[in-house]
Amino acid sequence: MAEHMDAWGQLLMAANAGDARAYARFLQTVSPVLRGVVRAKGASLGEAACEDVVQEVLLAIHLKRHTWRPDAPVRPWIYAITRYKVVDAFRTRGRKIDLPIEDFADILAAEAGPDPTEAADMAKMIGMLDGRAAEIVRKIGLEGASVAETGQALTMSEGAVRVALHRAFKTLAILRERHVK
Amino acid sequence: MKTDDLIRALAADTVRPRPLQATLMLGLIPSLTIAVAAVWLALGFRADLATSLVTPVSAIRILLTAVLGVAAMRIALVLATPEGRDTARLWPLAVVGAAAIGLLAWAYVTTPVDARQMATVGKTITVCLVAIPLLSILPVATLLYTLRQGATTAPARAGFVAGLAGSGLSAAIYALHCTEDSPLFYVTWYGLAIMGVTLVSTLIGSRVLRW
Repeated sequence: MAEHMDAWGQLLMAANAGDARAYARFLQTVSPVLRGVVRAKGASLGEAACEDVVQEVLLAIHLKRHTWRPDAPVRPWIYAITRYKVVDAFRTRGRKIDLPIEDFADILAAEAGPDPTEAADMAKMIGMLDGRAAEIVRKIGLEGASVAETGQALTMSEGAVRVALHRAFKTLAILRERHVK
Repeated sequence: MKTDDLIRALAADTVRPRPLQATLMLGLIPSLTIAVAAVWLALGFRADLATSLVTPVSAIRILLTAVLGVAAMRIALVLATPEGRDTARLWPLAVVGAAAIGLLAWAYVTTPVDARQMATVGKTITVCLVAIPLLSILPVATLLYTLRQGATTAPARAGFVAGLAGSGLSAAIYALHCTEDSPLFYVTWYGLAIMGVTLVSTLIGSRVLRW
């Protein structure tokens, strides 16, 4: 393993090789850092709005994860996505912020805490998906169903569920852009 | 929705998009093949193609445009990553530009005064200025598409580099037809065609490459 491979890099590497559990752990490890960045810049927006931004960044990281090259360190990649998306999210909320990459190292991670914030935007956008896609995202996300269970419940093959789930996230990102404009 | 719930759903999505390099090659190989076929069928290769390829002043035209195209393509792949805005180095493009200007200056000095105007104007300005942009459409579109699948955080710069890459490669292909061997002609008019395509691509990039 290359020397620059820190814990994030190893998790993302495993995730990209198809290890879904490593991927979940990767996203869980990254979220407190994202939350720390967003809260440091936008405490006055309120916790729920901050969590909206955190979720937007997570969705972006997810949809762009193929742009990480295993020979590059993970942190600059994550930070660059985060900066781009956070600046964008604040701009659409009517604020201009400055977010130098150098500041990321000093920002403290913020755990979700025992009573995690309920963000509103993502649920709203999931509601705008077509019925079946919304149901798949809710079943897997909110009810914790597996892809196989979801397929059985909706009489779809596992492959079809996977494809529909992937499309749903792409659509969510597009909806996000439109919703913003 | 709680963030943990979102993460659970995201982790279940195991469909991995194609790596960018593969996306680029899958589009670029057919685009360039079509460009070569179009030049061959619509315009025809120059009759003395083999000789021209070993004649330095003529061959350097293909070399310069191809180097420009390949260098810009590599930079585009760096700019397609989010951190590319900080890590991409544009100076190789400036080196190619400087070499072209140097070549132009050399040709100006070595061409007799009364032959300069004829060498610069040549006989095929119109074909050149129409063909290079037309041949650029597919390659530039491929590069913009690839960048859109990527995650550039510098949309205008990425569009600029995509334009140089696509039009540079297309100009190299057009040169298989073109018999204007004076740098006074090709640096000027190829350059103008490349700059025009690049300007349009920059404008498109700054609009469509946001995400």
